[in-house]
Amino acid sequence: MNYLIVGASSGLGRDLAYTLSKNLCNLTLISRDKRDLDAMKSDLEYKYKIKINSYAVDLASKDSIISFLNDNEIELSTIDGVLFPIGMMSENDSVTQIKDEINQINNANFLSIVKFIEKIIPIFKEKQKGTIVGFGSMASSLGREKNMIYSASKRALNSYFESLSATFINSNINVQFYILGYLDTNLAFNKKLILPKASTKQLAIKVFKNIDKNNIKKYYPGWWGLISYFISLIPFFIIKKLFKFIK
Amino acid sequence: MFKKKINSLDRSTNVDIFIKRPDKYREIENFSLSADNLITMGACASYTPASFKKNNLSLLFTKFDRIINFDKVNKTITVEAGIKLSSLLNFTLKENLWLPQIPGYPLITLGGAVAANTHGKSSDTHGTIRNQIKSILIFHKTHGWMNLSDKENKSIFDLTIGGFGLTGTIVNVELELIEITGYNFTTTIEKVTSAKNAIEKLSKKDFTNLFSYSWNKTFNKKFGEGLIFNNKINENEKKLPFKKMNFKNNNLNKYFALNLWNKYSIKFFQSIYYNYFTIYKNKTNNDSFENVLFPYAGKETYFHMYGQKGFIESQLLVPLDKVDIFLDELEHLINVNEPEIVLFSIKKIIGKELFLRFENTGICFTFDFSKNEKNLNFLDKLDILCIKHSVKPSIIKDSRLNSNTIKKCYNDFENFKKNLSEFDNKKIYRSELSDRIGI
Repeated sequence: MNYLIVGASSGLGRDLAYTLSKNLCNLTLISRDKRDLDAMKSDLEYKYKIKINSYAVDLASKDSIISFLNDNEIELSTIDGVLFPIGMMSENDSVTQIKDEINQINNANFLSIVKFIEKIIPIFKEKQKGTIVGFGSMASSLGREKNMIYSASKRALNSYFESLSATFINSNINVQFYILGYLDTNLAFNKKLILPKASTKQLAIKVFKNIDKNNIKKYYPGWWGLISYFISLIPFFIIKKLFKFIK
Repeated sequence: MFKKKINSLDRSTNVDIFIKRPDKYREIENFSLSADNLITMGACASYTPASFKKNNLSLLFTKFDRIINFDKVNKTITVEAGIKLSSLLNFTLKENLWLPQIPGYPLITLGGAVAANTHGKSSDTHGTIRNQIKSILIFHKTHGWMNLSDKENKSIFDLTIGGFGLTGTIVNVELELIEITGYNFTTTIEKVTSAKNAIEKLSKKDFTNLFSYSWNKTFNKKFGEGLIFNNKINENEKKLPFKKMNFKNNNLNKYFALNLWNKYSIKFFQSIYYNYFTIYKNKTNNDSFENVLFPYAGKETYFHMYGQKGFIESQLLVPLDKVDIFLDELEHLINVNEPEIVLFSIKKIIGKELFLRFENTGICFTFDFSKNEKNLNFLDKLDILCIKHSVKPSIIKDSRLNSNTIKKCYNDFENFKKNLSEFDNKKIYRSELSDRIGI
């Protein structure tokens, strides 16, 4: 099987690449920095004797994404599944500070994925099968003062994947969406968080086990689903009071 | 960024530090450029605080653990410096190749081994890791990316090997691997009547595919009565498939509430250990690769037993021509001061002196002590003996050593300091260790 991983060089993307390689899948890896990709490609090829292609693409830049998609149609036609373990955050992501980074955060977290899927769906339709895996965030459950654009773009992604599921409900195109709580990635490294961080390695194994299933929407770790459910039950006037209390 | 409390393995130092863990190449650059002072951290398994400094940034390098290039024909490999030595060996041993100069704990990283110029069980054949290093890639906050080798930036290459990470972050290392003729060992055990007897026997051995070291008792009328372990590679088993080594990440930094090592418990354990190998265990045994190469793996309780105050390891490299006189005076010093020595071991080592590397041709003595006043007083006297006989104490092992002792024991101390200062006059890369010894 051939899989495309968009956002492959660190965190969950890296663990997905190793998990799929261990299971002898050939991979196409996309990330921003050629140096990271080269290191992963050589390591995976030496260890697992599989075929890896890698492309340095700035996923925060619309032009870079479009250029890659137009230049690599043949490569994309061999893909059996695509995974989007991509997330971009900024310390400036608040209402007054964000300025120039709005488009970058929105491109990386949402629009880049839409562009890729737009290109890949016709390929999967022709093959009459394929897998698309997206990753949302618990940050999208509730509005927030920090990481505003990030959480908004993840909420958009959630809605987009619901639409994809609705579109391909009766087909062999598998649409899967994982909503993630705290993960043990560099974004959370050495940070004091109120709830425990989950292992990206375990998540990658779980994603691989589910890879042939259709229409999945799961929380990881699972108990974030309960939290999300309770948040959805709270009336907005109470949420307003909570915001006031926190401030 | 939050602070984290961290301990050195010997528990001599407990401080708050900042830690960042890069996992992209641009993060090495960005994190380094954003700090005034920093140092790189591998497994943080050095006895001394070599990978951190109070209120400074440590770059935890464990995500850089990939194989960059492997050439089986020429027996070379380029790997990122954060790779654990056990992971590196798991890859190379499948190809009948290995890196012999590995310290006794499997989770130590390659970068840490290079920065400490480590030796292994075959120190009498293969010397230190320096002999296998072909080139190094470092990132330095002001000098940027630098390739180091005998042909390129040689002076910095020499400073980096055994340079305690003070020339910048070691990012990847090209190694020349050595063919291995088997994955398992046949271990034979010999009795020795004294430390002198152990040295005599070790000196006469042919070390081809043989790793020999002694374990000696410390509470005995005959100073150093004990055992020699000879681990010989079992060439008959070369054709067996290599079994991947797996090690649990046992927390080295745990400790018991009390120090359990005292005169009585040491006597008790040494007596059990000696009798186990002389009476119960066969004189010839088959041993696995991981048991021989990583003797501390799975035996972390040994360190925990030193309690909250921790321990001191004194590793001394005695030039061959000084061994007899040093041993006589050491024996006298021990008889007079009666220190409580938990572990005493002897092995041969080969190499050349340069800068602050623990390397020369001579006999290597290792002593472990619990931290109490009597032992500390003894160690102060041992320092004087080292100075007198040009004995090198290992800087990476002993957290007590001060600048004065090291200056007198390492002929190249001032050269190292001068060359490092010419390369980095702001002392950007520094640790508790480098500050203590004044470099």
